[in-house]
Amino acid sequence: MAKEMMLSGCAAAAQGAKFAEIEVTASYPIRPYTAIMMELAKMIANGELDCEFVHGEGEHAQVSIVLGASACGARAYVGSAGVGVTYAFELYSPVAGGRYPLQMAIADRTLDPPGDFGSEHTDAMSARDQGWLMGWASTPQEVLDNTLINYRVGEDPRVMLPQFVCQDGYFLSHIPDKVILPELAQVREFLPPYKAPHPLSPACPVSHGPQIRPDQGAPMDAQRAATFLVVPKVIEEAVADYNRIFGRNLAPWLEKFMMDDAEVAFFIQGAHANTCKSAIRHLRDQGLKAGMVRPRWVRPWPTQQIAEALANTKAVACVETSTSYGGATRGGNLIHEVSASLYDLDKRPLLTSFMAGLGGDVILLDDFYYMAKILKQMVEEKKTRQKVYWVGFEDET
Amino acid sequence: MQNVDYRKQILEPIKSLRGAPREEMYLPGHRTCAGCGPALNYRLVAKAAGRDTIFIGPTGCMYVANSSYLCTPYAVSWIHAQITNGGAVGSGVEAAYKTLIRKGKYDGPFPNVIVMAGDGGTVDIGLQAMSAMMYRGHDALFICYDNESYANTGIQTSPTTPYGANTTFTPPGKLIPEGKTLFPKDPPQLVIGGHPLVKYVATTCVSYPLDLMNKVRKALNVDGPTFLHMLSPCPKGWKFDEKLTLEMGRLAVDTGMWTLYEWENGVYKYQRIPKEYKPVSEYMKWQGRFSHLKAEHIAKMQAFVDEKIKRIKAVAVEAPVPTPKKRTKAK
Repeated sequence: MAKEMMLSGCAAAAQGAKFAEIEVTASYPIRPYTAIMMELAKMIANGELDCEFVHGEGEHAQVSIVLGASACGARAYVGSAGVGVTYAFELYSPVAGGRYPLQMAIADRTLDPPGDFGSEHTDAMSARDQGWLMGWASTPQEVLDNTLINYRVGEDPRVMLPQFVCQDGYFLSHIPDKVILPELAQVREFLPPYKAPHPLSPACPVSHGPQIRPDQGAPMDAQRAATFLVVPKVIEEAVADYNRIFGRNLAPWLEKFMMDDAEVAFFIQGAHANTCKSAIRHLRDQGLKAGMVRPRWVRPWPTQQIAEALANTKAVACVETSTSYGGATRGGNLIHEVSASLYDLDKRPLLTSFMAGLGGDVILLDDFYYMAKILKQMVEEKKTRQKVYWVGFEDET
Repeated sequence: MQNVDYRKQILEPIKSLRGAPREEMYLPGHRTCAGCGPALNYRLVAKAAGRDTIFIGPTGCMYVANSSYLCTPYAVSWIHAQITNGGAVGSGVEAAYKTLIRKGKYDGPFPNVIVMAGDGGTVDIGLQAMSAMMYRGHDALFICYDNESYANTGIQTSPTTPYGANTTFTPPGKLIPEGKTLFPKDPPQLVIGGHPLVKYVATTCVSYPLDLMNKVRKALNVDGPTFLHMLSPCPKGWKFDEKLTLEMGRLAVDTGMWTLYEWENGVYKYQRIPKEYKPVSEYMKWQGRFSHLKAEHIAKMQAFVDEKIKRIKAVAVEAPVPTPKKRTKAK
């Protein structure tokens, strides 16, 4: 019998790691992700989990430790938040380039300055181009699901890539919700033990990461890029298996909410999607055909699925919870990729973006109503006045 | 804690050079300079450690000049680490084998985990990771092959570059005639000074291969973190004739510029203390990196070495490298 528990996002991540039977982990404290390591430390101390728990001397070391462990063929797990994520940045490319399928949980946090505990996606989003799989959960249940699904996809011999499994700090990491815990036997069926193809071992000497010549670089880059062409198929297989084994109904790519007849749509990732859905119900009562699309993956980016999901809308709002200072819209990141995804449509919806939830600010229902007002205006005027709105900082329109 | 036998290896002492293993674990196929001290260093370490070994190689000469893709000189498993994190990657490797052996996923002996880092990767940018590996008690050996500069990037000063050296970041000039004005860090003392789980630290030099190989074996036989500091003369960086590599190491010891010692459970033992030290100028005169120095600078260097020798004489017990006979039981 599957067991139900009230778990925070951090506790759910730790449960996911425990069910994945991780073998090496490395800790370093930084809020809000710390609770994941606290949970794992307790599990190990109580004998519930047989795993080496190494106290890293910083995030850079944390990722280095699990890199070494993964290279030897151990299933390795690590995590961080905020400036911890950026402190470890040097290692992201070596981990992905070395094809070490370790997992890093990120409970996101605003980058300094000034010091701020609040959630913001900028920390992890800064690392999105380092060759890892990446995506945000929106509920503690989805954190656990993503932990298992990511290991399965990352360790697939066709993929062999590390994974950032992200959740919003505090909104998700620290607020308990109902989580169905799987049976270990089910997990083992879904996620077989990790077997590294070329482990660092005296049994069969290998050299990992030797120096290359410049002309050897491009073929390797091309190979890494080509892997991302295979990843979608593996994700779809994994999610189908997950749904079958655990009796669930997860969508592989996008959560679509009231999109069947939507004229305006919010494009939003992470836990703020929950508020967004409440806002949509209210907006529907007011007569606005609103809907929501929430990507479950940032890498690989579901280009085609997003184009299809938004093709029949008239106006789309990217809700940006990360910054891209000086970028194309002078706002956030998501709109860049959403624009690219929609570009080839015969009839493109109008597109704008809203900077909201930065610094850990709550995105209120009223903020969504404000966004909806602008979407409605765009539809009426058949044009986009601004590509970015800083919610709460714009003159009334 | 569980009582697990991790199948720790015990390496026999090497009694003579003739008795050293014939088998090479570090082979031709690299691109190091003629007369390279660190390359010889690597060869001796790998020979002493043997087959069941995993090397962690942080960025440095021994990465860039050694590990060409598809043409690697390592006959044992080797992994590149960033220059920053040799100690951390080594810790992860050691931790992985703990779990893999405990879970029955690996049935060989516990590998010799050796981080082979340059001076920058040990006491400059790599200091944090090295110290943490020593502190946490991993069963692993951290080796600093010290060529006293960032040589691979074109001879820049590092914390172990001696006073007065001309490097590309400390060029002598009208205002700064001696080039490097600082005296170096002391890596083994950093380790000894603040890492309670470390039981064995030693210094050695490529010019004394038997001393070097036995210290490697002895360090590997210890169940826990160990540290070796190895002087690896660098013809390119120190600007001496490449046929003099071993001579430079010997002169370093004869002048007191370098000291061979072991520190074991709080006790120092010294090797090859000269009856009478030669003046440091005997060592410095062969090396272009010191050629700009004036008498007053050399005197300053001599005073530094004299002070060091005085401290040694106060505690010195001369002893050959003792090699362990008894197996230390794995935890």
